[in-house]
Amino acid sequence: MNESRPLPAPTDQQRLLVVLRSTPGSPASVPRAPFAGSRVAGLPYGLAMVLLAGILLILGVAGLMLGSVHVPAPVAVGVLINWLLGGEVIPATWRAVYDTIIIETRIPRVILAGVVGATLGASGMTIQAIVRNPLAGPSILGVSNGAATGAVIVMRWGLIGLGAFTLYTSAFAGALVTLVIVFWVARAGGRMTPTRLVLAGIAMSSVLSALTSLLVLTSPDPQLAARVLFWTLGGFGSAQWKLLPLPTIALVIGLGLMLVQARRLNLLMAGDESATALGLDVNRFRQAMFVLTAALIGVVVAVSGVIGFVGLIVPHIVRFLVGADHRRALPAVALMGASFTIGADLFARTVIAPIELPVGIITALVGGPFFIWLLRRDARSNGGTP
Amino acid sequence: MSIAPGSLQLENVSFAIGERTLVRDVSLTVAPGEMIGLIGPNGAGKSSLLRTIYRTNRPSSGRVTVNGENIWQRPASWVARHVGAVLQDMPAEFPLTVRDVIAMGRSAHKRLLEADSTHDRALIAAAIDLLQLRPLETRTFRTLSGGERQRTLVARALVQQPAVLVLDEPTNHLDIHHQLQLLRFVRSLGITVVAALHDLNLAAMFCDRIMMLHQGEMIATGTPEAVLTEENLADIFRIEATLVRNPRTNTIWVMPA
Repeated sequence: MNESRPLPAPTDQQRLLVVLRSTPGSPASVPRAPFAGSRVAGLPYGLAMVLLAGILLILGVAGLMLGSVHVPAPVAVGVLINWLLGGEVIPATWRAVYDTIIIETRIPRVILAGVVGATLGASGMTIQAIVRNPLAGPSILGVSNGAATGAVIVMRWGLIGLGAFTLYTSAFAGALVTLVIVFWVARAGGRMTPTRLVLAGIAMSSVLSALTSLLVLTSPDPQLAARVLFWTLGGFGSAQWKLLPLPTIALVIGLGLMLVQARRLNLLMAGDESATALGLDVNRFRQAMFVLTAALIGVVVAVSGVIGFVGLIVPHIVRFLVGADHRRALPAVALMGASFTIGADLFARTVIAPIELPVGIITALVGGPFFIWLLRRDARSNGGTP
Repeated sequence: MSIAPGSLQLENVSFAIGERTLVRDVSLTVAPGEMIGLIGPNGAGKSSLLRTIYRTNRPSSGRVTVNGENIWQRPASWVARHVGAVLQDMPAEFPLTVRDVIAMGRSAHKRLLEADSTHDRALIAAAIDLLQLRPLETRTFRTLSGGERQRTLVARALVQQPAVLVLDEPTNHLDIHHQLQLLRFVRSLGITVVAALHDLNLAAMFCDRIMMLHQGEMIATGTPEAVLTEENLADIFRIEATLVRNPRTNTIWVMPA
């Protein structure tokens, strides 16, 4: 467009100004055709959501079929439908062992992978807004390493308190302690700035990862290193029904709160000063969102280990598909995050079956190169400025 | 019903960070519809003073009132419904479209989870048309030129439906054509405006009154003729200047030598 075109003619301008100064319900507020949406890649929002939900469904069913024992697709769907409807709607012509495999191990595993992925995606998107940096991710807050340290303490001394849940409880406690420390450091002087939040998170991460290494290296148990490594790389192999309620409730509450605050998350992208001028109490909002996302990540890491790159990469793809407005992007990022981890888990347990890879290896192998490509593309489109 | 331009009053406003006083005892009364220019050398406290109006710098003493209400006793969203600001920070990190950025201006008018109404959409559409942004509506903000970015931010401030509009160096990074276009436009809105300006001649051309700041203190306030004197320019800006009249606009013109 030719920028030097004059602004509207005086009469037009007067008319538009009358609209702009009008209050709701006044005659001047002429309704206009609804706007189609503010997407970046030419895909209508509804269609994008249907596609994302379809992909999730397909990957979910594939997750029921594949593994050490292959279950044929019709059987997998049949078991799933019977289980969902709570009766033998589809005649069970298959062997009963399929029921056990699918209901006892695979359904919880797929649900856990989906819940974790959705939480990581939504948390990652929110963290990128609160530190106003699209290259940030869940691990930047330090709570992932806190959870790892908590888990390693239990593994090293074999502490048994709450039975099988000791590990998860301790990992979550580690995350919470880290959350409090990072919060306290980042809030010095009463204001939590993005820079200080990132630096506090990175500093805590380094300290905790050193602590974890120290615990592992000084341990008399030669197997500990391998167990810790496997745990910190993340996986859903431990999925069972009784493990699901906490992360699921956390996701529902967390995503719900983020959606309620979606408009305000948008304002954070405008910069702190503009966000204040647009009516946001930036400092308090950032602190609240930090606590929310850090707690969510603590829950997720406690049950599944550290699964990298999901919360970093998926928000980018989603913004490209449906735009950066959080009211649209948050539901999409939850769907896509879930698909990503379910897919990665599927790959992790089939590629060299019957041996299972930690899913964090897969997400990093896929996510890392994508991230590098993203950085290079960014550098090009910004003419070299970061 | 329509929203009327508001009045703004600064009463003995001071602002300090620790030991450093950035604004000292500044008072100013702005009538509805008036356009005030804030001038002063670098570090004079122009931005610090403006920040007390859009609720970023809490005055260490004194009051800021809009339509008679002390803005520091009102919630941030109330202030955002009454004071719009066009600032230097640019939302360029994320792929926000021009429309996304403008729509942010409606936030303070909305409750949590409330969807955009037809009124919101009409306002956003009017702002887009008024600032000639229609062809850029779905472009991402970071791909815009300086002039386009500034127009988008003005549109965002206008959909806030402010009683008072604050502009911090709005002509920065704009060429002379776009500087004139922007100020002419703001002037034509008929709303109350307080703008920090670097260009003394533009300030004289567009502002009803000018306030000159130096080291956080108000040196002079009044018509451009009263403030832009040879003495003030020598004392405060440390320039030797000849004052003439612009033959076309008949406004005062500073010619440095």
